Amino acid sequence: MGRVLLVGRLAVRNVRRRPAEAALLVLAIMAATTILTLGLALHGVTDDPYQRTREATAGADIVASVGPLEVAPGRAAPVDLAKLEALTDAPGVVDHGGPYPATTTQLEANGVRTEVWAVGRDSAAVSVDQPKLTQGSWVQDGGVVIEAAFANALDVGAGDQVTLNGRSFQVVGVAVTAAAPYTHVCFGHPVCSFFFGSVPAWVRQGPPAERPDGQTATVDVGPPPDDAGLVWLTRTDARGLAPAAALSYVMNLKLADPAAAPGFVDAHSPTSWDALFLASWLDIRETYGEFVQGAQRALVTFSSLLAVLAMASVAVLVGGRMADQTRRVGLLKAVGGTPGLVAVVLLAEYMVLAVLAATGGLTVGWLAAPLLSDPGAGLLGSAGAPSLTLSTVGVVTGVALGVAMVASFASAVRAARTSTVHALADSARRPRRTRWLIALSTRLPVPLLLGLRVIARRPRRVVLGAASIAVTVSGIVVVLAGRAAMASDWEGPSSLDPQADRANQVLLVITIVLVGLAAINAIVITWAAALDARHASALARALGATPGEVSAGLSAAQVLPAFAGAVLGVPAGLALWAALSNDEANPTYWQLLAVVAGTVLVVAALTTIPARIGARRPTAEILQAELP
Amino acid sequence: MQQEVVLAMLAKEPSHGYQLRERLRQALGPLGDAMNAGHVYVTLTRLERAGLVAAEPPTAARERPDRKTYGLTPAGQQRVAEWLAEVSWPKPDLAEFHLKLIAAAAAGLADPLTIVDTQRRELLRRLRDAQRAAMAEPDGTDAALLLEGIVLRLQADLRWLEACEQSWTGRGSRS
Amino acid sequence: MRDTADTAVLRARGLRKEYGTGEGLVRAVDGVDLDVAAGETVAVMGPSGCGKSTLLHLLGGLDRPSSGEVWLGGRRIDQIGERALARVRRTDVGIVFQAFHLMDELTAVENVELPALLAGRSPSVARRQAASLLERVGLADRAGFLPSALSGGQRQRVAIARALSNEPLIVFADEPTGNLDSAATVDVLRLFDSLRVAGQTLVIVTHDARIAATADRLISMRDGAFVDETRLTGGSTGQLGALVGLEG
Repeated sequence: MGRVLLVGRLAVRNVRRRPAEAALLVLAIMAATTILTLGLALHGVTDDPYQRTREATAGADIVASVGPLEVAPGRAAPVDLAKLEALTDAPGVVDHGGPYPATTTQLEANGVRTEVWAVGRDSAAVSVDQPKLTQGSWVQDGGVVIEAAFANALDVGAGDQVTLNGRSFQVVGVAVTAAAPYTHVCFGHPVCSFFFGSVPAWVRQGPPAERPDGQTATVDVGPPPDDAGLVWLTRTDARGLAPAAALSYVMNLKLADPAAAPGFVDAHSPTSWDALFLASWLDIRETYGEFVQGAQRALVTFSSLLAVLAMASVAVLVGGRMADQTRRVGLLKAVGGTPGLVAVVLLAEYMVLAVLAATGGLTVGWLAAPLLSDPGAGLLGSAGAPSLTLSTVGVVTGVALGVAMVASFASAVRAARTSTVHALADSARRPRRTRWLIALSTRLPVPLLLGLRVIARRPRRVVLGAASIAVTVSGIVVVLAGRAAMASDWEGPSSLDPQADRANQVLLVITIVLVGLAAINAIVITWAAALDARHASALARALGATPGEVSAGLSAAQVLPAFAGAVLGVPAGLALWAALSNDEANPTYWQLLAVVAGTVLVVAALTTIPARIGARRPTAEILQAELP
Repeated sequence: MQQEVVLAMLAKEPSHGYQLRERLRQALGPLGDAMNAGHVYVTLTRLERAGLVAAEPPTAARERPDRKTYGLTPAGQQRVAEWLAEVSWPKPDLAEFHLKLIAAAAAGLADPLTIVDTQRRELLRRLRDAQRAAMAEPDGTDAALLLEGIVLRLQADLRWLEACEQSWTGRGSRS
Repeated sequence: MRDTADTAVLRARGLRKEYGTGEGLVRAVDGVDLDVAAGETVAVMGPSGCGKSTLLHLLGGLDRPSSGEVWLGGRRIDQIGERALARVRRTDVGIVFQAFHLMDELTAVENVELPALLAGRSPSVARRQAASLLERVGLADRAGFLPSALSGGQRQRVAIARALSNEPLIVFADEPTGNLDSAATVDVLRLFDSLRVAGQTLVIVTHDARIAATADRLISMRDGAFVDETRLTGGSTGQLGALVGLEG
């Protein structure tokens, strides 16, 4: 009891003694935990809105579709509607809507051309899958209704004009549906037949018009783009968009027991090559989830990177602090603290900070998660606050503690194992003397001379500073590579991909956090160096160096290692990217160069302030204060 | 004790002999205990004979006739002023001990180091006494300041003995 | 057990501590035998660099000898494990350093109760005890002060109170007055004297003759070995007068 009190007291007091450093530590760990919380909290975020949308739109339990089957290059067999209609009598089916004609076509709006699925619907409401209007009215001849997420991406609403396959339509409404995911509900498109196999070469070939046999049955056999949007028109209008032979048909089925849907799909899916395709509502729900999962994956990946960076910051700060704690350690041991207890005392402080950071990260992440999931991917209502499960809390707290532990464990154990007598005698780590650096510095201009000598005093701290910059730069490189990869993954105009949009936002947030963290690191290290070197600086000034030269020297002491760190960070980042991802997309060279140059400039700017403050204190005061 | 000390103690105001003694006791603390009670009176008589102090008869009839009040004469005043201006200082007589070591070593009569050790023990004993007296004295009294002076002198002497020891140890190993 | 005057609380046999090897070999402590009886005050004196601090570290369980034995309260401590040694320092030994070595971030009373808390006392018991120790060193009114707000002498008195926290068998002091001015030195000497009177066993390592002179037994150390041992007896305040030329 007494010992617990003691450990707690020592930890808290030491935190309070250096509040700025403690705050920086918390910030560093919090950055990683926030991003991790975001990533974990977004998991399963769509379930709820999906259910709500499904209820509001009488969502289908099974979406069945048939498409024109290509039997020879460019030649399609007519759609076999009988297979679709036969499903309505299948056991378990209680209701159905359709079949509705559907086709892929070109949509043009606001100068953007993109692929869409157009489905012909009755103007009267139906009992299965009646999209819920969020704007305007339901389909009418010449009037098109656009799926909400797609409308949002296109930035169109009721009253706007769009062009479908060259024909002009008025947007009469915007609606949400529980059956919209563009890629996976294939509406009987030929490619669906190969859903479980590899896509045959002909699917990837160009438009049928180029085919040598001159077939003019213009069946578009290209695979539907990942992000093809969904629009509804009247049956008549839909039929007008494509030749009859190129039309697919889709039918929505309601089962007596929605839970039986996967079984129903298994029972009725064709076993052979066929144009019939079935998807259960569970499949669809999963597809919605993937929108959020993309962001989640990015977040979890980058949170591990941030954890590394946080660990570097923590190690810098802890390393500096531990050196100051040598005497404390000796003292604790002298009055009878066992090595274990000493290690616990040293670690407890960081554990306290880690728990604080985890709490902060969980709170901020939990509050920020709705911002990232809010578009709701075209579902009804907002996603609301993502659930904060016990396991999320556990994982985030564990990571925070882990970061603090890994960063401080070695120092704590080393400190706990030093000889008591040495620890007591060595009130502070003595500056080192790196002979060759000092010799080199005599040939350089005054600021560089002073800067090199600052480096020579504390080579280890300089290495840590360079390492932290290297981690930051590699993080930025990974972000750049990620963006480049996304741009190349995405085949259409990226502004229309809601997923890419959100991922971009996420990457932007991560970049800001990374850069912020690195900036904090740079300031901390310079400040530490300025404090450490103040006696030497005061002496230099007493011997005639100007404050300007001294502060330039202190800045130089940071900028040189920052440059080294930035240069190292580039290959490290590329290697990290290669380890994280299968994609090979590399950022461009000018981007990499800009990152290195920018880093050095930013570090130079950041270090000026603490260096100047450090260099401007009156010389006599410092020299006086340093007297033993 | 120097006559001038007694003389100067009278400079503030004419006093009885016992008042003088009390003042001295205050200033000296435990060191004053060693002072012979009659010493002050003997000194006063001598000073009176020298014309430096003058005794005034008892002012009130009920006072005992031997309780004379002593005051400074103009000659006494002048003597006190001269004494205050003097820079005399007790001379540390180290030459004697120094020569003792040299003589003992030269004649092979005794080991100088043994002499140093014996002397150190003696000084340490004195230091202990002075230190105990100093510790018993409340802080900030005149006596405490005097005792500190004694302690510091003894420390200086002990340090010199240390130097002697080092020097003679060196000579011993050389021969 | 502690009141038995003849019991050797501390016993060292053939104690050696060496640093370095070959040409650079330094024998900081070179074959020291020592017995300290309960209630005794022993001062070890010698010039700086004579190995007296190293000796104190060996005796106090802060460091391990290269060879030789250290017995504390009848138990050999030079070979026990680091944890056990820490426990010895915690309960059997109190150490006072020249540089005070207080925890800057803890108040006076918190510094004093530190060893008691380490020993597993309940917080309330430790606090009560610490308060009474501060009272004993005359700093009851400074209990809530941080060391930075205390004078050197006050800090050293706090450190002494801390050394007494677990009622140790023996208190070691390493140049306890080395960083103090004359007045503060007298305060600390008074405190040690009161400990001596109360029967506390004390081993003080110093080159300050003032402390050494107040000990029961005085050991001179040179080049890592004991060269002289004295019990200071005789002398009286009567002779004090002679020191200032007061007699006659």
